[in-house]
Amino acid sequence: MGLRWYHFALWAAFIAIMVAIPEFVSKGTLRIIIFANFLAIFAISWDVLSGRTGYISFGHPFLIGIGAYTSAILTKRFDVPIEWAIPAAVVMTMIGGIIVFLPALRIKGSYFALVTLAFMELTYQLVQVIRPDLTGGTRGMSGVQTLTRGALNGYYLSASLMVTIALSMWLLMRTQLGTALSAIGMNEESVRGSGLSTTKLKLFAFLTSAFVAGLGGAFYVHYLGSIAPRALFDINFLFTIIVAALIGGASTIIGPVIGAFFLTFLLEYLRPYLPGAERYFIYGLIALLLYMYEPKGIIELLRKGWHRLFSRHSVETPS
Amino acid sequence: MSHPLQIDKLVKRFGGLVATDNLSFTVEQGQSVGLIGPNGAGKTTVFAQIMGEHRQTSGSIRLYGKDIGAASTPERIRLGVSRTYQVPRPFAEMTVLENIRVGQMPNNLWQMIRRKPQHEKEVELALSVGFLPSDLGKTPGELSMGDLRKLEMARTMATGTSVMLLDEVFAGLTVAEIAQIASLIQQMRKDGMTFLIVSHDLKALEPLVDKVIAINYGARIAEGTFAEVMNNADVRSSYLGAA
Ligand SMILES: Nc1ncnc2c1ncn2[C@@H]1O[C@H](COP(=O)(O)OP(=O)(O)OP(=O)(O)O)[C@@H](O)[C@H]1O
Ligand SMILES: [Mg+2]
Repeated sequence: MGLRWYHFALWAAFIAIMVAIPEFVSKGTLRIIIFANFLAIFAISWDVLSGRTGYISFGHPFLIGIGAYTSAILTKRFDVPIEWAIPAAVVMTMIGGIIVFLPALRIKGSYFALVTLAFMELTYQLVQVIRPDLTGGTRGMSGVQTLTRGALNGYYLSASLMVTIALSMWLLMRTQLGTALSAIGMNEESVRGSGLSTTKLKLFAFLTSAFVAGLGGAFYVHYLGSIAPRALFDINFLFTIIVAALIGGASTIIGPVIGAFFLTFLLEYLRPYLPGAERYFIYGLIALLLYMYEPKGIIELLRKGWHRLFSRHSVETPS
Repeated sequence: MSHPLQIDKLVKRFGGLVATDNLSFTVEQGQSVGLIGPNGAGKTTVFAQIMGEHRQTSGSIRLYGKDIGAASTPERIRLGVSRTYQVPRPFAEMTVLENIRVGQMPNNLWQMIRRKPQHEKEVELALSVGFLPSDLGKTPGELSMGDLRKLEMARTMATGTSVMLLDEVFAGLTVAEIAQIASLIQQMRKDGMTFLIVSHDLKALEPLVDKVIAINYGARIAEGTFAEVMNNADVRSSYLGAA
């Protein structure tokens, strides 16, 4: 809970790297990193809920979709200014978060995961049939107002959003509240038996997760300038979010960021060799092996490496 | 004059099975009461109803005079009752101190965010139940059964409880661990804690209780001092005979 010198040092280094990146990489790479930034935001959103409480959400594209569609529809169809549309989208996504929360009052484990998956599928179907004049139906929407022009501005916007979200979630999860949410993932009955209302805690986790997903979804659509429902409500997109959080290191906030960058670049480097669906097979395999080797994720590998390097000095483990 | 715990005509049915059968008893301030009975007699089910984990079919449970029939488990804990489990239920990936921390937390999201953990209080609780300073950073996987029971008691105490329900605290422990937990309970009795203790280990239970209630098939068959209950004919045939 207490912040130590190396926390400041690591965050300062992280921010410095994010600021310096455009100096060293090409425009193409910058565009890839923009995607990594958004994936990191979505993975953090998943982590705050599922990584902590153990309520595995298979419905995150549902939440991200609400954020993206709300902001896109408001700006494009109703000429709402973007600075109003984004907060409205976040609020809508949080309402969506409450909808996903309701089954969590009664069911757990794989049943809960399946119900959330149904939310995603259902939304995909609904978007196509209900008011296609607003949603653009199967084709989605294009010509949505963008916030930035060019890779560099897009990079700075996505990077500052990601870093802000990561830092605030990291600080939030280091409080006793974060401990309580983790405790739910380990033994929900014992949390209740310790005098804490798990309903309140879970509702908070769902709302926070939805807040981040909505913010990410809205900014994402105003970066892309378009929505393709088939790519959004897609099982590959869903698994990329979950795998990023898991192989990075669930329940750590920074792990999912690392996982998102790792996955994005892995997919990108595999692209020239494996253009088709095989790519997802290979990446699934690599993720699985990594996960089996170190279930606590890449962040744990880094931590161990750090300790091996500096083991003479470090007596206490960072927590 | 309201008692810490007053149970009146409590009935719990699981389908056709009557797990608690018209059970009434009172636990007075600072008293330590043993609850005994053969396997499946319904002891744990009584605890579950007191804590609100199971709702009673009928009858009432009063805590310091207040009917808690409609209260949630966290609300009951705030009123001052808390329990341990037959099979310990620690938070597996947390240290001893973090486990205790969860018991200490305020049930208010804003205060959870704002307040720092009360580190000294956590350490004090851990040491008071008999942990060594070197144990405080261990996770439950590294602890013995005796330590896990101590951890449950420490987390329960951390909630600020004044009525403690202990379910089979001596099960699975070594002789030395039993002695340690027993002396811990004695210490807490001196400090004014009220106890309701379920135990199959009657020898360990005897010095710890002011009175004993024996139940069978969910119904009370005897109540009195330890010696009185042990000499009761129904208890001898249903419980001691079977053991
Ligand atoms: N959730 C439940 N659903 C149905 N029956 C139950 C449930 N919980 C307990 N029972 C039944 O109620 C009776 C009392 O069980 P309980 O666990 O309270 O007994 P106990 O006295 O604690 O036994 P033990 O000494 O074995 O711990 C048993 O017959 C048990 O099978
Ligand atoms: Mg029992």
